[in-house]
Amino acid sequence: MPEPSTGPSTGTTGSAAPRSLAEALRARDDDSLAALLRARPDLLNPVPGDITQLATRAGTRASVVRALDRLDRFALQSAEALAVAPDPCPYPVLESLLAGEHGTTGGADNGSRAALPRALGTLREQALVWGDDERLRLVRTARELLAPSATRPSPTGLGPTVAEATAGMSPTRIQEIVAAAGLPGTHDPVSAVAALTGLFTDPERMAALLDEAPAEAHQVLGRLVWGPPYGEVTPQPTPPVRWLRDRGLLLPATARTVVLPREVALHLRGGLAHRVPEPVAPAVPAHREHRPHLVDANAAGQALAALATVEELVKSWEHTGPAVLRAGGLSVRDLKRTAATLDATEGTAAFWIELAYAAGLLAGDGEADERYAPTPAFDDWCELPPAERWSVLAAAWLPATRTAGLVGEQDAKARTLSVLGPDLDRSAAPEVRRRVLDLLAELPEGGSADPAALLARLAWERPVRGTSDLRARLAHWALTEAEVLGVTGRGALSAPGRALLEGRDPAAPLAPLLPEPVDHVLLQADLTAVAPGPLRRPLGDTLAVLADVESKGGATVYRFTPGSVRRALDAGHTASDLHAFLAEHSRTPVPQPLTYLIDDVSRRHGHLRVGAASSYVRCDDDGMLNEILADKRSAGLGLRRLAPTVLAAQAEPTTLLDGLRAMGYAPAAESRTGDVLVARADARRTAPRSAPEPVPDGPPVADATLLGAAVRAIRAGDRAATAVRKEPAEPSAPAPAAGELPRTSAAETLATVQAAALTGSAVWIGYVNADGAASQRVIAPVRVEGGFVTGYDHTADEVRTYALHRITGVAELAEDQV
Amino acid sequence: MNGPLIVQSDKTLLLEVDHELAGAARRAIAPFAELERAPEHIHTYRITPLGLWNARAAGHDAEQVVDALVEFSRYPVPHALLVDVAETMARYGRLTLSKHPVHGLVLTSTDRPVLEEILRSKKVAPLVGARLDPDTVAVHPSERGQIKQTLLKLGWPAEDLAGYVDGEAHPIELVEDGWALRPYQQQAVEGFWHGGSGVVVLPCGAGKTLVGAGAMAKAKATTLILVTNTVSARQWKHELVKRTSLTEEEIGEYSGTRKEIRPVTIATYQVLTTKRKGVYPHLELFDSRDWGLILYDEVHLLPAPVFKFTADLQARRRLGLTATLVREDGRESDVFSLIGPKRFDAPWKEIEAQGYIAPADCVEVRVNLTESERLAYATAETEEKYRFCATTATKRKVTEALVRKHQGEQTLVIGQYIDQLDELGEHLDAPVIKGETSNAQREKLFNAFREGEISVLVVSKVANFSIDLPEATVAIQVSGTFGSRQEEAQRLGRVLRPKADGHEARFYSVVARDTIDQDFAAHRQRFLAEQGYAYRIMDSDELLADG
Repeated sequence: MPEPSTGPSTGTTGSAAPRSLAEALRARDDDSLAALLRARPDLLNPVPGDITQLATRAGTRASVVRALDRLDRFALQSAEALAVAPDPCPYPVLESLLAGEHGTTGGADNGSRAALPRALGTLREQALVWGDDERLRLVRTARELLAPSATRPSPTGLGPTVAEATAGMSPTRIQEIVAAAGLPGTHDPVSAVAALTGLFTDPERMAALLDEAPAEAHQVLGRLVWGPPYGEVTPQPTPPVRWLRDRGLLLPATARTVVLPREVALHLRGGLAHRVPEPVAPAVPAHREHRPHLVDANAAGQALAALATVEELVKSWEHTGPAVLRAGGLSVRDLKRTAATLDATEGTAAFWIELAYAAGLLAGDGEADERYAPTPAFDDWCELPPAERWSVLAAAWLPATRTAGLVGEQDAKARTLSVLGPDLDRSAAPEVRRRVLDLLAELPEGGSADPAALLARLAWERPVRGTSDLRARLAHWALTEAEVLGVTGRGALSAPGRALLEGRDPAAPLAPLLPEPVDHVLLQADLTAVAPGPLRRPLGDTLAVLADVESKGGATVYRFTPGSVRRALDAGHTASDLHAFLAEHSRTPVPQPLTYLIDDVSRRHGHLRVGAASSYVRCDDDGMLNEILADKRSAGLGLRRLAPTVLAAQAEPTTLLDGLRAMGYAPAAESRTGDVLVARADARRTAPRSAPEPVPDGPPVADATLLGAAVRAIRAGDRAATAVRKEPAEPSAPAPAAGELPRTSAAETLATVQAAALTGSAVWIGYVNADGAASQRVIAPVRVEGGFVTGYDHTADEVRTYALHRITGVAELAEDQV
Repeated sequence: MNGPLIVQSDKTLLLEVDHELAGAARRAIAPFAELERAPEHIHTYRITPLGLWNARAAGHDAEQVVDALVEFSRYPVPHALLVDVAETMARYGRLTLSKHPVHGLVLTSTDRPVLEEILRSKKVAPLVGARLDPDTVAVHPSERGQIKQTLLKLGWPAEDLAGYVDGEAHPIELVEDGWALRPYQQQAVEGFWHGGSGVVVLPCGAGKTLVGAGAMAKAKATTLILVTNTVSARQWKHELVKRTSLTEEEIGEYSGTRKEIRPVTIATYQVLTTKRKGVYPHLELFDSRDWGLILYDEVHLLPAPVFKFTADLQARRRLGLTATLVREDGRESDVFSLIGPKRFDAPWKEIEAQGYIAPADCVEVRVNLTESERLAYATAETEEKYRFCATTATKRKVTEALVRKHQGEQTLVIGQYIDQLDELGEHLDAPVIKGETSNAQREKLFNAFREGEISVLVVSKVANFSIDLPEATVAIQVSGTFGSRQEEAQRLGRVLRPKADGHEARFYSVVARDTIDQDFAAHRQRFLAEQGYAYRIMDSDELLADG
């Protein structure tokens, strides 16, 4: 047998086999510890005090589940195989579980042999497996999670071993089975089970035994062999089932069910733990290859469209933005309306809205009757050159956890998820998105991938446990979103997309792809103006007032109508302004009909004047009105002559009356008509808002500096802890005097309890409960997590949980005290 | 990256005409994009599903369309648009109608789910018969038009490969003595004949009648010609006798006054759509002979009932002639499914550049109403407002000044309101042709005008269509049917026949300033402005001062 290479990252230095995970970890070098912490950043928060603590934390259920969830398919299959292998497990055994047995049909090398060292390396690096190749050990928690239990069959589809399945069976029954299987009787059940196991694991004798089996029995076995291994039986089983049961090839699981023992299943499977071991990641080949410049051109086209859409979206919310629902988010009606404005589907509109939100361009205005509105950042964004505007959007999109694809679905409480509403964050989104783009980036330039192949690869890298297909959907969304945003073009990563992915500024490669802003328009006799490219900003804004936009895209088509010209005049432009403006910016002579249009509209514009006055003075004698106007005392009334016999006043009628009376006149009040109010809608802005932070899952991956510091801290703590522990062992190891609470420092308490949890030994603790009553207890700690220790309390004879901070001290027990 | 074409996200294409590649780009996009506007600098084309299916029907595929867009585009083309183009085009031809030796007509699909989808539609169910095999379903031959119409509405246009009946043969030849079909007319005839059925789009005055005659000479079969009115019918007859081997006796007129059915019969839309006691009594015309060709003049005016009859005529060759596919009622899709896809079109300006239609100077004369007229206008009832401002006395004076200005030139004065025309006729001392003028009298006046015996003719809207007055060089429009863009184009067409001396034609539209007349005028001019006819605006005061 070739000596399997140990994973390079294990960093095992000592020759002595480690006896615990903590020892194995202690033996690893700093780089290898740093690798562990990088792979499982949850272990870093807070930084463990020493190696023992690190080992304990690495063994907690939550952390192990998290680590298992992040394994690739083959590493997971290796871990699953270890979970059904003997503990500890020698390397060759594991290898044959994954690659099949030598000499059997399943033993053809499927690549597992070559891939196993890497998978094992991963498991070792992540502290899920420890021990040398002779004695591979899966961390206990992981074993519990992956091994078959009564409620959950193993992912391998293997059942319990003969020994486990016969536990609790009557010795007589066992002897009967042994006899039926053609083995000599033994004296005790233990040796009988061993003999039976021996038979089942011996391929030749097993083959001979199965040759005798009736054909129907083979069918029964065939149904159970790849799992689930349980089958229902009637009280009077059929002859083939009876034949199998008599020989222990099926063992009773409950009164109504039988189970196929693991050894038998493995024999039938040719030693394979999985029906299809998948040692190699499925390749993602280039599905189609486009010319890179076409890809970039396409992507740039989309990028331009994205900029226009976002701007249009946010601007459309400028005057009266949609209301914020009480539960947060946008109503379905507002989404529909926005989709209609953008001429997009609701799904796409939701994406744009979320994108603008993620980029901090719009937010709730925070007023009592809350509405969405553009943020001040939007104004700044508008000022940027187009390429930089795009990089703001792309940079917001890449790490965003808010998932627009979920909009319209229902959450667990059957509430509809609304755009901009709560519960749209999916922590896996950025990771999946980046992974999808990374896979695209690995293709040759201009290559697009088949989405199915991409999904298969993603599924291999992070196998789905349970039924949720969220990751597949996230990947699908990532692909569509990348396309509409212009990160990809025709399914292939564009140059700006690549830059984005590599952390470079995507604006640099994008800028030359975008149309150059133009500073002129072409005026035509059909009263249209065409800007043959994006217009420079002040020009575009003015033109948008003077003419109606008819068509958008690379170019913009404007149409002049009497209404639009009037709008420009209302905005304070004069006809000569407009003529000069058009003459200046038009490459072509201004067509005569347009000149006429402006002149005709402006001739009539302002012919009628409308103003606001609070009151008026009317008098048939215009001489008297002259008198009033000339009187200095009337200055405060804001009087203005509208006609020979009418004065308008800014003062309220009552004030005016009083004023005139004070001046010695005797005015009479006329019945009032309503005041004219002039209202002008202001473009609303929220107060300064920061963009929402992505909500990552778990702690961030630490950088090298932090990792180095953490490793050093753990090492230091470890040295300190080991030193402290030895000290009291020397002079007076005695248990504290009877009745006296043990007293130890908090660090020492934790270390001792964690060590006990690892070794499974019992300790003596002093404990002060919530009422302040002190007591002494003997406990066997099982778990130390989150400031609590859970363990079997020998004193109370049950499992209890104690707060660590209430433990006054702890002492190890002499062997005979348990 | 510096092409002449800009592809907009709303599926319009902007073509910069002064660009050196503009011609190539136009040829590349013409098969699938409809020319929407053709003003002086930038032409606007639009990509519509119908246009794309037209292109498919003419044998172009999506790859060509995408290539044309990408090749000539100045800026990156949005990917979504390309995908949409490909998807839309892929919808055409999944279903085909073809002949079947046993079942007559069958609908076949290359894509079974599509067939399932359309068979599930309630509208399709009554039109089809038995399912012959998973991909084929029988269609009642009488429903050939109906099913095409329905399938188009469902978004799965069927390709009609069922062919045509030859009809009753009848010898027709073009008599090209001293004239010949112009190249574009030849192309139009070939395009139509090759495609089987369809529509030819040519500007007014570009000789659509000759395209019809050419098509008849190809078909050499009995022909039914549908035209808009009696005058137009006479003109067709006159032209056919002149240009083809047909004699007067071979051509029948089927109108309100005469009911002749001959090998070539010209019928008016009006007589066909006359309804008595809930039925159309003149429908038998369609079945009275085994027609080999049906010609539709002015397809954009085709009345709804004619569509209905046309649905039953799918086995006969059909040729539509029009100046524009734009229909004010939006029934372009019925034209596509019942008459056929567009087989040929050429923009006005291009034909003008080739010298086949006269260049025209379009002038809008803005008339300042007098104060009393303005007051009267302001107080007029809403429904009377247009009539009032369109027929003011000031306008009349301006019109007289215009006629004086062009003294000695053949001038048409065109208007909507009879009393206004009568008054003008009186002041100008010119004959008036209106609805009540007898056909004989009309022919006589038109002839006198052609011969130059009279130089000013006042006409009502009876002269809108298909009246051939090649010598007219000045048209003055005083009022119209509100904002009809069609009418404006037709009226301009009256003066577009090429002049013997290459003289420029003039088209005046007299408009009362600051009234609803001006709004309607703006709308009416839009079509021509979009065809590249730039209107000049002239103040009536200048004109009166000059005069």
